[in-house]
Amino acid sequence: MGTAVVVAEGPRIDLVDLSALGAPEAFLLDRDVLRAAERLIDLRPADLPPGLIETIVRLPPAARVVAGDASLARALTIRAGRSVPRASPEELRAARAIAWRAPSREERPFTLALARLTLERALRSPEEVLISLAREEERLERALGREERAAAAFLPVAGTPLAEYRAAWEATRETLRAHHAGLEELLEHSARTLVPNLSEVLGEKVAARLVAAAGGLPPLGRMSASRLQLLGTRRRPSPERGPRFGIIYRAVRMEEVPVPRRGAYARSLAALGVIAARADATTGRPLAAVLVGRRDRRVEALRRRKR
Amino acid sequence: MRPPRSFRPAPDSPRLAILHRSDRTELWTETVGQEPPVYGERWTESDGRPYRSFEPARSKLSAAIVKEWSGPVPAPGEGWLYLGAASGTTASHVADLVGPTGRVYAVERSLRPFSRLLTLAERWPNLLPILGDARDPAAYGALVPPVQGVYADIAQADQVEIVLSNAAFYLEGNGGYVLLALKTASMGRDATAVQHVRRAEEELAQFLDLEPSVRLDPFYRGHYFLGGTVRPGRLGPVEPTASPPPRERSRERRRR
Repeated sequence: MGTAVVVAEGPRIDLVDLSALGAPEAFLLDRDVLRAAERLIDLRPADLPPGLIETIVRLPPAARVVAGDASLARALTIRAGRSVPRASPEELRAARAIAWRAPSREERPFTLALARLTLERALRSPEEVLISLAREEERLERALGREERAAAAFLPVAGTPLAEYRAAWEATRETLRAHHAGLEELLEHSARTLVPNLSEVLGEKVAARLVAAAGGLPPLGRMSASRLQLLGTRRRPSPERGPRFGIIYRAVRMEEVPVPRRGAYARSLAALGVIAARADATTGRPLAAVLVGRRDRRVEALRRRKR
Repeated sequence: MRPPRSFRPAPDSPRLAILHRSDRTELWTETVGQEPPVYGERWTESDGRPYRSFEPARSKLSAAIVKEWSGPVPAPGEGWLYLGAASGTTASHVADLVGPTGRVYAVERSLRPFSRLLTLAERWPNLLPILGDARDPAAYGALVPPVQGVYADIAQADQVEIVLSNAAFYLEGNGGYVLLALKTASMGRDATAVQHVRRAEEELAQFLDLEPSVRLDPFYRGHYFLGGTVRPGRLGPVEPTASPPPRERSRERRRR
């Protein structure tokens, strides 16, 4: 017996003997595809099929046992009481050529179950919850704005069916507003817990939208101030006349700054925001008090200064 | 819109119908999926078989075929690994082309497009969605058997390396097809689009018998369609790239 490779193939785990080149021995992770998918996602040593462990323990000590991926290698090393390293690319390629047969009946339900589980798990993290909330809130805000503008321009002519329609419309908008307010509250709470410094410096909603636009907290923490300033812009930056604001235009105290000085304020805010985002993405140290002090001094300076 | 009366299948991919009209080329694929339309494409029937229009403005594969791509196209019964499936616009058509006996393993990394891909896959019986990063081919090794082709539409700086490492890992035996929709704008500003394509071709030509590349203008700006058949024995196992290589940036400021 030379080398045996252990590879996962859908809901089962195969043991392929590379020296004999025979059919692989297959061990089912679980009869139920959903539970098998759950087990494969984070493979704990206890979840390995008992038959597989017995077979490996019975192999002669001279035989080399390698595993197809890192989690399998770790679990096997613990359970089988012998060192199971990761397979080399050549070994893996050879084992896969033998192990994979025609698509099994479980292939599709297993892949779909695994896809659903990994997706749900990823979307459940606080960061992704914040991104989902920020997108939904923005979508709703836009819809609400559209409704309000249409309502302002609406001229009901007495005696036509649309005149009576107005009250129902008003009620619908009222519900939408309440829904939006609830969503905003959720969003603000979520932003204060995940990015406390950034929320304090720029405002909760802007902080959440920045995280969403950057695609997560780590990418936001790696960003330069000049990129953060332009997150959410549609036009492309250019040396002559590029955009000055993106999402940051809605940041706190922007409306107190005279219009010609807002670009300068956006630059300062982006510089402070990037420090806050880095703190939130890494140590989580509370820096907000210092940064807010600097932000407020900057606002005062910009208001005093003539254009 | 009057539905076309009868479809004549394309010679190398019988589930694809090419209609040459006076002002444009129309593509249709015989579908394996269920309505509703995936992205607003038209559905029709011909000889009792359901067809979906394959829009060149929405799919780089369709644009390539319209612009007379001479290379391989997914054919019935084949298994394809699709990298960068996003919400499944093109992936659903590739699944149509391989038919009920083929399989498409669609890999996508970002969560929200993937959730759309997942709902699509539930009504496309031969489309299998995988949430994963194409930079680490071994990560989804438990779900993908050896396949006949790798299709990639991944706008990354190292897209050629990603495709080759996946092809080395997943292509069956010593052969197979590689198709790549190359986005030159993702490859840095240190070279022109044409230079990027030449570089990508040189890199691919070490392993593939390349077909003449197709420029996807006017459907996609700065995109090219590359690919061909793997030369037997050339594609050895490639170590997966753990992280993207640092992007080369030109020091020179872009001038206009």
